[in-house]
Parts: sequence; C-alpha cells; structure tokens
Amino acid sequence: MATKEEIIARAKAAVLDFDDEAAEEVAQEALDAGINVIEIIENGFSAALGNVGERFESGELFLPHLIAASDAMGAGMKVLAPAVEGKIKGEKIAKVVLGTIEGDIHSIGKDIVAAMLKIAGFEVIDLGRDVPIDKYLSAAKENSADVVGSSALMTTTMVNQIKLEEALNEAGIRGQVKTMVGGAPVTQTWADEIGADIYAENARDAVSQLKGIFAK
Amino acid sequence: MATEYMTRMGDGRRVFMTREDILADIEAGVAEGADSAEVPALSEEEIEHLLEIVCAKERIVTVEPGNEIVMSQDGGAISIDSEHTSGVPSGRILATLMYERGFCMDSIDFGHTDYSFKPVKPLISVECQQMRWVQEAVTVPVLYGAMPNMGLYYTPDGPYENPGDLMKAFKIQEARESIEKSADHLTRDIIWIVQKMMKSGGADGINFDTTGAAGDGDFFAALRAVEFLRKEFPEMYIEMGMAGESMLGIHGELEYKGKAVAGLWPHKQVELAAEAGANVFGPAVNTNTTRSFAWNLARAVTIVKEASKVSPIPVHVNMGNGVGGVPMFELPTLDALSRANKAMVELAHVDGI
Repeated sequence: MATKEEIIARAKAAVLDFDDEAAEEVAQEALDAGINVIEIIENGFSAALGNVGERFESGELFLPHLIAASDAMGAGMKVLAPAVEGKIKGEKIAKVVLGTIEGDIHSIGKDIVAAMLKIAGFEVIDLGRDVPIDKYLSAAKENSADVVGSSALMTTTMVNQIKLEEALNEAGIRGQVKTMVGGAPVTQTWADEIGADIYAENARDAVSQLKGIFAK
Repeated sequence: MATEYMTRMGDGRRVFMTREDILADIEAGVAEGADSAEVPALSEEEIEHLLEIVCAKERIVTVEPGNEIVMSQDGGAISIDSEHTSGVPSGRILATLMYERGFCMDSIDFGHTDYSFKPVKPLISVECQQMRWVQEAVTVPVLYGAMPNMGLYYTPDGPYENPGDLMKAFKIQEARESIEKSADHLTRDIIWIVQKMMKSGGADGINFDTTGAAGDGDFFAALRAVEFLRKEFPEMYIEMGMAGESMLGIHGELEYKGKAVAGLWPHKQVELAAEAGANVFGPAVNTNTTRSFAWNLARAVTIVKEASKVSPIPVHVNMGNGVGGVPMFELPTLDALSRANKAMVELAHVDGI
C-alpha cells in the first residue's frame, strides 16, 4: 500500500498534470487508506494549485493551465466531500453564508474556503456560483447568518461586492453580519474601500480570521 | 532645495522630480525590465546616459547628425484624419502624401479605416484600386497595413465560439480547438488579402500591425501567413509589429517550428518573426500609467536593447501612445516622445522607429 507521503505527492502531481481522473483516483485512495482529508487538501491539492498560481504570476503558465489545474482539484475535492462532511461534528462556531458573486462562475476558490470552514467547525450555507445579490440577502435572513462571504475572480465581477454591501445595508441587516471578501483580484485595500469587514487572502486565512472573531 | 526637473507620469501628467528621484526610478525600471523579460540590465554608464537624456534642459531632444535612423509609419495612414488624433479631414491618399512629404517617413503603411484583415475581404477591389493610386503618387515604399485581430473570428463577431466563454465553463479543450480553427481561418484570410494586394494593388509589401493582440493564436496565425507569403513573394517587404511586450497565452501550448509561442518577450518574438520570413520587426513594450516616464523608458530600453542585439533583421521599435516608454496619451507630448526616441537610438540601438 502506498505511504501517506506517496499519496500526497500523487495528489500534487494530479493537479500539476491537470489530470482530473488521476485527482479522483488519488482522492479515493487517500480515503481508503484512512489519510486525514485535511492533509490531502492542504499538502496535496492546495499546495499544487499554489504552485500553478505562482507560475501563472511569473508568466510561465497561462489562464488555460490555471483553469485546468482548478478543474483537476475540483474533481478530487468532489471525492473528498463526503469525508469532509463526516468530520464536522458538534456545535458550530458560526454560520457562514458563502458564494461566488453575481456574474462570476469561478467556484474552486470558494469551494476550498467552504470545505476548510466546514472542517474547522463552521456551518456553511454554500450558495454556489453566480449568486444574485437577493439570494445572499434571503439566505442571510433565513439562516440568521453571522458571516456573508463573497468570492470574485474577475475585476469585472468584484464590483458586485459593493452591491452586496449596499443591499445588506438597505435590508437593515448589515450590522448583524460580518462581511468577508476574497478572490484573485480582491485586496485589503478593496475590502477597506467597499466597507467589507474581512479580507481573506486564501482559505487558511479565511478560517484563521473567522476563528479569531467567533471562536471562544 | 534640490533642482526639480519637469517630466511626466505614464499617463502623460506633468510632474516635477529631483535628479535623485529620477535616477532611482530609472534604476528600478531597468531592474524590473531585466527581471520580467530575463534580459541583461543596463550598465552604470548606460543608466547615467539615460539620466542625462531624461534630465535634459531642452524641451525637445534629438540625436547627433549622422545618427539618424529609418522611420517607418504605421497606423493605416488614418492617423491624420482620425478624430482621436489630429482630426484633420484629409482622406487616406492625402494623408499618405503628408507622411512622405511633410513628415519625411521612409516607408508608409496604407490601410482600411477599420484596420483589421477580416473586414477588408469584401472591400478588396476598392483597397487594391486605392493602393494603385497611392503607388502612383508616392515615392517611398508603401505597405498595405492591417491588424491580424483574431478576436473578430470569435462569437459574436465571428464563426468560432469565444474561448473566453468556453474557459469560464472549464471547457479547456474546446477553447483550444476554437483558437486553432480561428488561427487557421485568419491565416487563410491574410494570405488571400495579401495575394490580391500584391498582384492587383501593386503594394511594396505588408505591415502586420499589433500582432498578437488576441494572444498566442493571433501571433501563430500571422507567423504562418508570413512564412507562406515569403515563399510566394521572395522580394516583398514584410514588417511585423507587435501588440504587447509578452505574448499572452490564451491557448498556452501552440508551437511554431517547435517553439512555444506563449510567454515570449521581444528578444524571443523576433527570432520567430525572422525565421518565418519578416524583413523588419517592431517590438512593443507597454507603458505603466501609474509609474513615471523615467521608470517606463528605462524598462522599455532594457527590453528592446536585447531584442536589437539578438535580432538578425532590422528592429523598428513601436514608439507612441502607451508603448516604448512613451506616456499613454493620444498625442504624446514632444518632451517625452523625443527623449524616448533618442534613448531608443542611443541605448537600445534600434535600426528604426
């Protein structure tokens, strides 16, 4: 049987090779071998995606490679999803309504944040991608959310994060929730500019910041 | 109080900077250009020379007699009457004469007002007729000019599905196939148009303007067209001007003669252009509007210098609105433009502009 290190190395290789099938296979093998899903996600899939991101930034790789790597990771994450759910037990730290902002269909970053938050003990209401502003509002109200998080991968869609802030204000619930923004073009400056409470640079940062606010 | 020099930001805004601040920006621009393009940095002597050019007291600077270079005009001879530039209602043929007799250009590119290959197809007879008239009136070489502009082959403007839309839906393979089909179509169109223009219009050659604007597929299609045309017209004059400094990898894995097209910087782009059969290469280095003119020019000179050094064909650098260190402004200011031109001649050793 393959060792944990070998399986993690293969998880990385699957994303670096943009290989969906290999990502699914190694994810299943990790589950069968009883390896902690957090280690596979963090040290395998996420580490490889980070590497692809760095090579994209340096001009060595291009947008198709970035999307193909995200796709491979998404395939592996689907296999791991039930195990991620199974790890969530006991009282939840806080309720997080999460989605990719209206007009934007990029979901992998948001999916990773959702998975990591669930693992960390948060209740996550995942609204999916291309989420209309009204849907955020109704989900926040119906679930008495503590956090409303939005992700954007494009400069053309990140402007909708302003609309979300305005809509929460108009609905009279802005004071009851913390807003969190993230995504490739999003920065702390942008978060400050639009009045968002939290800027999360990545999934780990999102967990760390929300734990800092809500964990007792 | 330290003396301050009037200079520009990358958007053309006038700013006053000390010599020390200008030097710091030049050094930072050189370092950034060398790092991004992976080319050698300028020497201390070259940086000092660039500093003298930027800090010159004169409003307009130029080269010493004997160091003049060739000037090849592009833009389809529409820059004179375009409302975005001069706004002089002249028409194309009159504008071409102005370029030759007023501005002393050594070669001129003549093109359709849309300035892309694709829309020329239904107008080819008119374009050939106009080219014949121009050839009768003008002495210097007149090239037919157009942009490959492969974006016109994607929906909603063309027959092939937009790779941007396909990639958003994670359809990478389909996106790449769409790019490949568009590139094949574009290559065919360019060849057909240039054949007509050479045989019926009597053009001296062809100027590919803003090559690569739609990414690596755009460059790939143009290179194949150049290769074909060079074989059919061994004596024709082919100029290949670029759209930007780094070839954007929309496809990411296209290869021309075994070399990956995406991610190439000017000193690598020129190798492929020459191999395909171009006579002249026009590198383009983009201007950053939030940085100073000194930073932008230092960066552009660093990148273009290496392209000039390695190129087996003449290099005519693109200098103007937002390229070559020149501020991004429809009618660039003479103080910045003349300094940028002088620096490109004396430090980047270009053959033409």
